[in-house]
Amino acid sequence: MAQEQAIPISSPAPAMEIPKRPAWWKGALKFCRKKPLGAVGLGLAGLLLLLTLGTPTGEVGSPSLPDRPLGFELGESWFQRYGSEEVFYNQENRVRAYEDPSGNHWFGTDNAGRDIWARLVNGARRSMFVALWALAIATFVGTTIGVVSGYFGKWLDTSVQRVMDALQSFPPLILLILIVSVNPLTDGPNLLVIAFALGLVGIPSVQRIVRGVVLSTREQQYVEAARVIGASDLRTMRYYILPNIMASIIVVFSTGLGVAILAESALGFIAPDKLPTGTSWGVMLGDEQNAIGTAPHAVFFPAAAIAFSVLGFNLAGDALRDVLDPRLRL
Amino acid sequence: MQQYIIRRILLNFFVIFLVATMVFLLVRIDTSNVIDAKTGGCQGANDEALIEECRAIAEAQLGLDKPLPEQYWNYMTDLAQFDFGISFKSQNPVWGEIKERLEPTIQLGLMQIIIAVIVALPVGVISAIRQDSPVDYFLRFFSIFFLGIPVFVVAIFVILFTSSGFPIFDGPPSDTLAEWFGPKVGYVSLWENPWENMKIMLAPALIGGLATGAVIMRFLRSQMLEVLRQDYVRTAWSKGLKERVIIIRHALKNALVPVLTVIGILLGSIVSGNIVLEQIYTIPGIGNYVVFAVAQSPDFPVVQGIVIVVALGLVFINLLVDIAYGWLDPRIRYS
Repeated sequence: MAQEQAIPISSPAPAMEIPKRPAWWKGALKFCRKKPLGAVGLGLAGLLLLLTLGTPTGEVGSPSLPDRPLGFELGESWFQRYGSEEVFYNQENRVRAYEDPSGNHWFGTDNAGRDIWARLVNGARRSMFVALWALAIATFVGTTIGVVSGYFGKWLDTSVQRVMDALQSFPPLILLILIVSVNPLTDGPNLLVIAFALGLVGIPSVQRIVRGVVLSTREQQYVEAARVIGASDLRTMRYYILPNIMASIIVVFSTGLGVAILAESALGFIAPDKLPTGTSWGVMLGDEQNAIGTAPHAVFFPAAAIAFSVLGFNLAGDALRDVLDPRLRL
Repeated sequence: MQQYIIRRILLNFFVIFLVATMVFLLVRIDTSNVIDAKTGGCQGANDEALIEECRAIAEAQLGLDKPLPEQYWNYMTDLAQFDFGISFKSQNPVWGEIKERLEPTIQLGLMQIIIAVIVALPVGVISAIRQDSPVDYFLRFFSIFFLGIPVFVVAIFVILFTSSGFPIFDGPPSDTLAEWFGPKVGYVSLWENPWENMKIMLAPALIGGLATGAVIMRFLRSQMLEVLRQDYVRTAWSKGLKERVIIIRHALKNALVPVLTVIGILLGSIVSGNIVLEQIYTIPGIGNYVVFAVAQSPDFPVVQGIVIVVALGLVFINLLVDIAYGWLDPRIRYS
């Protein structure tokens, strides 16, 4: 045994020309050139993430104070103050309700004299908080169920599929309102419960996509080979199947973020009492809905915020799908 | 074929049974809200024991005091006879309340599907046969635009621009536009006054229809692209058939089969989208009712009823889609 190990490698392999990995920015440039819409989407998503990391500054908001030219500053903790309205709620400014957009209030003020830009920044954090948690839950549970049911097939797959059929027969928004309103976990409305409900609603669609990919991967020769060399089911799923569906999962995740933001704002729009207090784009839109004639800006900016972020994640997910996983095209 | 249909129907019964069970358990996770609403928080009772008693009476009146299996058995046997119980809030039979509100919802959904298909068919086909041309890019941009922007945001923008004009202009662009696409109050049934009814329904139908049409168009486009590369299409070309005939009779007919399934799947999201549209345009449909039913305290029988009726509708239409699918594609029929 020892001798065998000692045998030196006789001749070094002929020097092969290893193609150099192109610089990341070249890849990014190529992506931008080939998928201009996708690049716009990623830009919008990035902008939203940037807003999420920041905190609106100023009281009711002169967000455009000279020392904070962007109207928000980075660094505030993610979990702090995502809801606290008081931060920029100022009694004196009540009289200045529905001020038009100006240098002082970029997007104008709302019915209570609150700065709309500042509220949008706060709402961004909340939208992303809910969306990221929801998608984390939906992709984790959906992928696990999808891989297991697709891998084992037979009666397990059939029964899981029926349960998913049933879950999908609930119109998503009804299921969402229902879960949020019976919520037994916390005393009042709670963001995590909303995220949990959204995640639950999203599980079937993730599961379906993952299962579809697993069904085709399962028949591949390398999976068969893994079984032949005695890999356990768990190992096969973890090391042979899961890596192959990662691309699909990334795509599902990015498109799902848009869907989740949309659902959260739709919920805020139709049932604001089911949301915890604080700024939410949907609630802002719903509150100002009737001011459409007198103060269009109060409606326009929240609506635009929702539209751009949902559009951004959709465009990004779409382009990512084309690049990463053309099989998923729908 | 018969066996196929029977199998699908049995499967669907099972799915409905699961839905009914899920919604039954879901609303009963926490009953304290409903009891509070029924008793009004037991005002006037300052004694702990009195409050207990008052709540117990309310619980008994709502039928929530019985053990869960018994409630479940009653619920299922009632359901088998298509009895959804009595609404907690209005004290009327739930089925009657739902039946009243089905009409506007179904009308809106139908109008949306029709608009979606009318728009998506030509757009999808043109986009596919002129692949990567400026026309294709333009149409695809519009479809992703309608896909990406939530229907209620589109609705609000439409109302905003037609009622108060673009921010740069003063006043609404035109009175007729404001009349058709502006904000709405009150609802007139189609049978009462079709013209007035259309004034209310056209805007949400167009908005929802275009959003749905965008999905159908994208799917149809990719299906067409696939079909157009098939051998039999090339054969048709080399036989010297007219372009029209090849595209409509040979390609489109085959590309449409999978599109049918997508339309079936989309119905669920149409129902969801219409909840919000019904709110904005004050249409007294199912979506409006479900929001009312869960507001403050959930009205169990109504919520159960709506979920089951909607699920029945979705499952039934998907069954039709499945049957049509089997009918259009013999490979499925015989498998």
